[in-house]
Amino acid sequence: MAWYDEDSWATAAFAPKGSTIAITFLLAVLLPILLHQFIYRKATPTTLPCFLLIGPSGAGKTAFLTLTERKAVAQTHTSTAPSAIEVLLPEDHTPQSSHYRSPGDPAYERSRRFLLNDTPGHGKLRHFATTQLANPTNVRGIIFVLDAATVAEEAGLNETAEYLHDVLLALQKRYTGATTSKGPKEIPVLIAANKMDLFTALPPHLVTQQLEKAISEVRKSRAKGLKDSGAALSGEEEGLDEEREWLGEGGEGSFEFGQMEEVGTSVTVHGGHVIRGDGADVRSWYEWIASHL
Amino acid sequence: MLDTFEVLTTSGVVLWSRRYSPVGPHIINSLIRDVFIEERVQPQAEDAGSKPTYRKEGYTLKWTTAKDLGLIFVAVYQSLVHMTWIDKLLDNIRALFIGLYGEQLKTKHSSVVNCDKFAPYFERQIQDLEGQSDSGFSAPGTKLTPPSSADNESADEFDPKIPPLQKQHKPQHDTSADSTPVPTPDTSRPTTPAQSHLLTGRAGPGAKLSRRGKKKAAALTSAPASSGDEASVKRKGKGSAKKNRVWGDFGAEEEDPSMVLDYSQSDLRDEAPEGEALAEVNPESWGSRTGKGQFVLKDLDLEMDQIIAEQNAKKETSTSAVSGGGLVGSSLGAIGGLFRNVVGGKTLTEEDLAKPLKGMEDHLLKKNVAREAAVRLCDSVKRDLVGLKTSSFTTVEATLRTSMEKALAKILTPTSSLDLLREIQTVNASGRPYVLSIVGVNGVGKSTNLSKIAFFLLQNHHRVLIAAADTFRSGAVEQLRVHVRNLQELSKREGGQVDLFEKGYGKDAANIAADAVTHAAKTNFNVVLIDTAGRRHNDQRLMSSLEKFGKLAKPDKILMVGEALVGSDSVAQARNFNQSFGPGRGLDGFIISKCDTVGDMVGTLVSMVHATGIPVVFLGVGQHYADLRGLNVGSVCRLLMS
Repeated sequence: MAWYDEDSWATAAFAPKGSTIAITFLLAVLLPILLHQFIYRKATPTTLPCFLLIGPSGAGKTAFLTLTERKAVAQTHTSTAPSAIEVLLPEDHTPQSSHYRSPGDPAYERSRRFLLNDTPGHGKLRHFATTQLANPTNVRGIIFVLDAATVAEEAGLNETAEYLHDVLLALQKRYTGATTSKGPKEIPVLIAANKMDLFTALPPHLVTQQLEKAISEVRKSRAKGLKDSGAALSGEEEGLDEEREWLGEGGEGSFEFGQMEEVGTSVTVHGGHVIRGDGADVRSWYEWIASHL
Repeated sequence: MLDTFEVLTTSGVVLWSRRYSPVGPHIINSLIRDVFIEERVQPQAEDAGSKPTYRKEGYTLKWTTAKDLGLIFVAVYQSLVHMTWIDKLLDNIRALFIGLYGEQLKTKHSSVVNCDKFAPYFERQIQDLEGQSDSGFSAPGTKLTPPSSADNESADEFDPKIPPLQKQHKPQHDTSADSTPVPTPDTSRPTTPAQSHLLTGRAGPGAKLSRRGKKKAAALTSAPASSGDEASVKRKGKGSAKKNRVWGDFGAEEEDPSMVLDYSQSDLRDEAPEGEALAEVNPESWGSRTGKGQFVLKDLDLEMDQIIAEQNAKKETSTSAVSGGGLVGSSLGAIGGLFRNVVGGKTLTEEDLAKPLKGMEDHLLKKNVAREAAVRLCDSVKRDLVGLKTSSFTTVEATLRTSMEKALAKILTPTSSLDLLREIQTVNASGRPYVLSIVGVNGVGKSTNLSKIAFFLLQNHHRVLIAAADTFRSGAVEQLRVHVRNLQELSKREGGQVDLFEKGYGKDAANIAADAVTHAAKTNFNVVLIDTAGRRHNDQRLMSSLEKFGKLAKPDKILMVGEALVGSDSVAQARNFNQSFGPGRGLDGFIISKCDTVGDMVGTLVSMVHATGIPVVFLGVGQHYADLRGLNVGSVCRLLMS
């Protein structure tokens, strides 16, 4: 039986038969429904706003994460993997975006929800954080957690400042490298000076001063330092290597956090301590989160 | 005795812990740092049948992981105590924990796992295993299983269907004794009836035993279980006993009229919770009657063994699924495997990875990575991947590739900052010159790289003294003199100051180096660069002088120069030089010279870092003074994977 015969499938498909019409009708009705089901099952319903937790190892990032999630600090150890946790802003803070919403509004509840992305702070594992920085999706802000007690010492200060320098430089590159004239969305940075309860901890304004000084130092020694091996190893011409960027106002003079405003990054420093306080001591951090949510 | 047992996630949150004596968190932190992140301490091979161990400050740590859920189980105990059952405990606890909380762990965007009720399971396991190892297997009236490690494994995988079947027509305590893979004498299971007998016997003539007392007796019969059910019984007993008991002036008052009137209060406080508790407890679910009519709480053992057996069976099927099956089964499996290989969502096993890993190893070997380093990298990638599911639309090869890139980046990334200029600044601030010395095998370019570093320091306006401590090879001092003359010419234009410190040939190198440091301090030089004689790394006689050198000159930094050209010998070189400075002192970094001559075969970098865990500080990429570069981890990884 060839395809052009009277009762072949091809003829049946084009004939005004009841069954053909029924099948076509079903197909026309069900296909969009199935497609809808398939696509919408896959896609997450909404993407939550997200805050990145960055900072050197042992600063208290994971502890802050657990405090926010369960209102109590869990015991933590050095992280080896990043984690994204869905958390709720504490009751006594109102997100910036819903100042005019009434508390009963379901949209109000929804707006208090956000993701906290914890990253490992160990030197070898910072690529988790830097990849997120290079391509931030839906990141509303960066919380750079540091230990205010270790910042009081030279070695700790240097490590923290170098990490912070790299983070700020990545943010600046993102701004200057943007193709649109408007520039990318602003990503503010909160420097959360943790462990204020310790006796040796520096107060927030001193942390600011010390960090600014240390970052200027880092910038200076980076400028003097050797070039990267990248271009030389891949056999490219020496003169062509890309121009290096300097943090804040072309890398001249001393660095201040205020200089970051120009590249769409506001830096705020707040003190607090996660452990030995029932959330009340990190109020200023939550306020900052609320004002950017 | 066990000090601490913790269940934590890879993201650092402790889910459950039990501490018997205080152990500082830094102990486990250093385990994570040294073993999981820096891989400085090589865990012993797991095929020896035992879990890897790690020692720190008199503690021994044993651990096991559940890759797919991102869990780490750590047991900490004093190194003095020899505990043979820790491995078994870790295995059992892992199976239990995953069995009980696996679902909770898989929820996204949450770190909370509600595992308050895990304690009794854990206690029970400890008791089981401790008893098993203590008084051995001489318990009367129980089936014996020789507790050799091999048999434990097999005994563990008994049919999970047995316990419920037996439960129907046997007293409960017997079944659990049967179904326990290894008898547990110290839990007094065989003596349980006798004990409860005694108690009830006493209760008989003693006439009225309070209701609470009876409950206590019932609880006692299952005392070793110390289960969560017990808690619920207690709660219930307490609830009914406490109800309406009011303390008056003369002890307990039976009835208080004022109390009766306050219906709302009693409703709120007493009735509701009690009713709830009563409703919750279904007699069948938490106990059974023994032949003598005594009420015995359902044991945790049964549940525990079931969970463990289930987990083991799951593991069994997943491994046997690959090997088992007839012709049809295997071919279907092969097709399915192929399909999944393309689409993703395949759970990786060692067999899946064997071939691509071999390919990856060959690729690395071609890039001049030493065999030892290549094998280790592949092993760490394998450890990373086995048990993982490939994400959608990625093949096994692609997954392997990204994982290998990550492993390479991890091994090459330095742990701390390598900023030479800042270090010089801090050392000079303390009022002494910064001393940097360079060691290495003959002909790798020690003097050349030393002069490159001198050039770099001169550009930064430092005052550099070069000490010629190579008193062996003829022409070595003259070679340095030429370099210094060239550099002096440059420094006239660039600023800075450079000079040579020499004492001729045949003298002791260590003394010359020490003299150079004192001379520099006197004449206001702020950096001393010490050149040393090249030596073969496997010649004990030559290497032994390095220890004295390290002690006398006290260099702030010792850099070793290695050629990029060298092959598998690089591992031995790095290791021997690292150990030659005596205990407590090692190398601080590597300079890999002649990188321009090898193209993309930069495997030596990986080999050297692998052997010692010491970072690469500089790369030599040419013949000129300015051809010194810092390490760019990303580009090296790209070259290696290309």
